[in-house]
Amino acid sequence: MGNVISIKNLTKTYGKKRGVADVSFEVQEGEIFGFIGPNGAGKSTTIRSMLGFLRFDSGSIEILGMDAVKDHERILKEVGYMPSEALFYPAMKVSEVIKYAADVRRMDCRDEAAKLCERLQVDTSKRIKELSLGNRKKVSIVCAMQHRPRLFIFDEPTSGLDPLMQNTFFELIKEYVKEGTTCMLSTHVLPEVRKHCDRAAIMREGHLIKTDTVENLIKTSVKNVKLTAEGRTEEYIFKGDINELIRDLGQKNIQNLTIEEPSLEDMFMHFYEGEEEVK
Amino acid sequence: MTAIIKQELKLNLKSLLIWALTVGGLGFICILMYTSMEGDVMEMADTFSDMGAFADAFGMSTLSIATLAGFFATEVGTVHGLGSAMFAAFFASAMLSKEEDGHTGEFLFSLPVSRGKVVTAKAITILINLIIFTAICGAFYVLGFACLGEEVPAKEMIRFLLCMLLMNIEVAAISYLISATASKTRMGLALGIALIIYTYDIMGRVIPDLKDYLFIGPFSYVNASEIFAGIAPPGGSFLLASIVIVATIVATFICYTRKDLAS
Repeated sequence: MGNVISIKNLTKTYGKKRGVADVSFEVQEGEIFGFIGPNGAGKSTTIRSMLGFLRFDSGSIEILGMDAVKDHERILKEVGYMPSEALFYPAMKVSEVIKYAADVRRMDCRDEAAKLCERLQVDTSKRIKELSLGNRKKVSIVCAMQHRPRLFIFDEPTSGLDPLMQNTFFELIKEYVKEGTTCMLSTHVLPEVRKHCDRAAIMREGHLIKTDTVENLIKTSVKNVKLTAEGRTEEYIFKGDINELIRDLGQKNIQNLTIEEPSLEDMFMHFYEGEEEVK
Repeated sequence: MTAIIKQELKLNLKSLLIWALTVGGLGFICILMYTSMEGDVMEMADTFSDMGAFADAFGMSTLSIATLAGFFATEVGTVHGLGSAMFAAFFASAMLSKEEDGHTGEFLFSLPVSRGKVVTAKAITILINLIIFTAICGAFYVLGFACLGEEVPAKEMIRFLLCMLLMNIEVAAISYLISATASKTRMGLALGIALIIYTYDIMGRVIPDLKDYLFIGPFSYVNASEIFAGIAPPGGSFLLASIVIVATIVATFICYTRKDLAS
């Protein structure tokens, strides 16, 4: 499997403000790749640099074997992007927005758009200004998928979508991925990553701190320890030699103890609270 | 690119019609008022001709407002000049910045179209709108003359409308550059610039020392009284207008293709 996205040493600053620094990662063909981090971690800066909205300071971005700066327009033909805000021209009808996106692409996407609208229950006769965030998101999904792109880039796609629609959305992604599309999913909803992604990258304060399979991210030497000793209940993440943990626990008068693999949420918090940089 | 032009024309149709019907309609009413004011206008013409610099400023020393052509040039010329300049500024100043201001840029620029093509498509839209605006207003003025049973001075009218169109393009080009550099729509600034260049022209015609520098302002070549009297505009004004238009459009391209888009 080749790389669909290859980012090397991406650095972007906003004057004196931090953007992202020295970010490098790859997304492989046919995978669903999670891009995790809280607000301000640099996820959107990375995505906006990939799509040509921002001029990055240094590094290189290759998408589908093309250079993100030189082949910007060619790349966008093959990409379906869904921004986090999903804002369109308020006076336009949903059908007009969907048709406009297809027209700019010079493609007839009516069949695919109709199929997507049916699955997502999009009312195409309404005006954009009449839609809630969730319904605007659905329009955005249709615009991103109707041309059957080779790569999806979704930025916080499920915010505003009800749970049923979230399911339909991930079903759709999996159907397209089965047919060869690759998906990069930027989110801070960790259960989504755990449930749907093959690999994930974790961003912290503009730096990429870990890239691995979701399975490996959870399965590390890190343990989630929950204990009740001397009437007090404690829960913490332990990282290090397990024998040391046992020696430490042996000195306590323990009433109850659970040691388990941490959840992705625990791992995420561990990476965020940890002083050291994990590679 | 065609899809973007069509889309912009559709989105701005209502605004175009409101401005064109307002400015053209005002001009039309002004023309119709001529018959009811014909007697008074004779006396006004004599009074204005003695007002020196102020008569010069409003073109009343060049052409008698006692004739319909003179009345049209002084009254409608001012209404159209100011109205069309404000429309051009209003329209062009929002053209690019509205995408960032309304957060629609992420949708537009995720489609396979370069920023250069977007700038071109939107510039073409502005031009088409200014031409339609001028045509609608022109139709109103011709209708006004026809209602009064007067023959339209066709050559002068066409020259007047073409010069106004050129001035509108110049104001729009400056406003378009403002639109490319700002991430919020700066309509107030663009309208302010349109009013300042109008004021500059009035001042240039009132203050003798400024007369030699009148050609700098876009209003220097749209003085309707001079156009209807067959007087040539200040030397270099057309050349300077062309330079300003080309320079601002090139600057717009450079600014917009290199800037970071606001989210």
